[in-house]
Amino acid sequence: MNRRNFIGLTAAVATGGYAALKTSELGKEQNVTDGPPGKSAVAVLKATSYSADLVQPMLEGVRACGLNVRGKRVLLKPNLVEFDSATCINTDARVIAAAYEVMEKLGAAEILIGEGPGHRRDTYDLASEAQYFASVPDFERRFTDLNRDDVRPVSGFAEEATFYFPQTALRADLIVSLAKMKTHHWAGATLSMKNLFGLVPGSVYGWPKNKLHYIGIAESIVALNAQFRNTFAIVDGIIGMEGNGPIQGRPKQAGVLVMGGDVAAVDATCCRIMGIDPEKVDYLRLASQLGHIRPDRIEQRGETIQEVHTRFELIGAFERLRLA
Amino acid sequence: MADVYVENRRALLLRTQNVDGGWGYFPGKSSWLEPTAYAILALHGQGQSADSLARAWRLVESWQLPNGSWRAGSQVQDGTWVTALGLTLTSLMPSSDAARSKAVDALLRTDGAERCTKFRIMELLGLGHIEEDTSHAAWPWRPGTSSWIEPTVHSVIALKKAQALRPNLDVANRIREGEEMILSRRCADGGWNHGAPVALKIPIGSYPESTALGLLALQGRGKETGAPRELARRYYAITKSPLARAWLAIALRIWDEHPEFPVDNAPPPGDIMLAALQLLAHPEGNHDLFRTREIA
Repeated sequence: MNRRNFIGLTAAVATGGYAALKTSELGKEQNVTDGPPGKSAVAVLKATSYSADLVQPMLEGVRACGLNVRGKRVLLKPNLVEFDSATCINTDARVIAAAYEVMEKLGAAEILIGEGPGHRRDTYDLASEAQYFASVPDFERRFTDLNRDDVRPVSGFAEEATFYFPQTALRADLIVSLAKMKTHHWAGATLSMKNLFGLVPGSVYGWPKNKLHYIGIAESIVALNAQFRNTFAIVDGIIGMEGNGPIQGRPKQAGVLVMGGDVAAVDATCCRIMGIDPEKVDYLRLASQLGHIRPDRIEQRGETIQEVHTRFELIGAFERLRLA
Repeated sequence: MADVYVENRRALLLRTQNVDGGWGYFPGKSSWLEPTAYAILALHGQGQSADSLARAWRLVESWQLPNGSWRAGSQVQDGTWVTALGLTLTSLMPSSDAARSKAVDALLRTDGAERCTKFRIMELLGLGHIEEDTSHAAWPWRPGTSSWIEPTVHSVIALKKAQALRPNLDVANRIREGEEMILSRRCADGGWNHGAPVALKIPIGSYPESTALGLLALQGRGKETGAPRELARRYYAITKSPLARAWLAIALRIWDEHPEFPVDNAPPPGDIMLAALQLLAHPEGNHDLFRTREIA
């Protein structure tokens, strides 16, 4: 067993609160690669409040990134984790409603919504508390609890002989990862790529989906995004979360929506907005095989990072991730 | 006379049973063991359900694997935590001793991976520190991963039921271990969450549904469960989660309390597992099927 395997195992037990992870030891061996040829477009749009018109900036951003959804079956995948009225853990319902309207305007053939929370079993109650039923058109009919959806096996996921995924996710032509801009006490940050943890069915892997932790958090994030390459990211950074995210942190207003078809580039851009160096984030270094995380390979549309830069507080173990 | 609430849910279950005999989590979906197990428990002992139960049990029996564990559903090939539910059903449905013994053995073979030698070496080398007490053998959702509250609760209940039929020292020891693990994972507020009361030394709160489950596993341990029972009463009064309310009502009734059940004539949710649990939780429901004997 090499050092990296050792560290991966620590993370497996650590996740979910089992142990204090020696984060400073994590993944220094993975170098940032050049990624695919060319550059990736990432749109950063100012959106100062959830009460403002979110459809127009989202539409602008999506168009700026050249997304074509016409005739496609689209799955909107919010980040619904837990509910606490005192903070802002989940993708805001108004962001989901805006994304729904944008996809409709752009001619999507079918728009579905799905999520599989990692800890709580009553997904519908969480969705209700988070105002999803009240705010998102036709939510009840369009929503699938991905933890309890029918599944289909796939081979080759993260070197597993067989891995099961919800049929709703496998059948989607396009997944829109509607993530929340948050710090994360194991991964550093949780953005559009980690949001795909919610595609793993609890009915097979449990609550939490501990198998992913045993595969490795960074490795699982990248494997999920390699499995679901048909993903477009829209990150809700209007009010994000800093400190001890993804659940116990504090609300932090960044006033932005960040989007793009290269999820690694979107997450790297979010990190830079938050004052985190994406090249120091373990999963993003690994993700540089899939997309671009270097600034010279990302074509910024809309606002510049400097204009919207908002320093998010990090827990002590992750201060090492700060942008120089 | 059964009320509308009960009749609605019973009718939903009978109407949504799949051709293969099982139930999906939602109407029209493939059969899974979890909703099927709760539907069997909810419908058990009712004359008009006999044929339905026989078909359901034939399907569940067919899902037991040669190693004694149970598949999670028609689309999943490997054994998971639902082995505990399968074993619980063997104490209720016509089952062979061999099938029950194999299931008991499968549960006795299963332990949380946090107790493996690799982790112990890691701790010794200072590569990681496990915040939880890992001295007690408990159960994971899937083999090869860490142990958590819900699979441990169902395994403890299943083994207690098996133990009542055929006492065995190894089984008794694992039951005690499981109970101790559950006690060791109590949150600061006295209840339980998924199984992580702290993360990075910061306390994490309990969940109503997990608190109810914890109480189900700890039947007979009155001294240690005063605070969680008090919390369960409070949760029952305030939680909006129908799933949590159902588990809380079941747990409180098992602890000989009588939580008020709301008069509700609304149609049942299109959530089969929830409908089955609500039926079990009703004052006239089969909640006693979760009752276990104290292990000496």
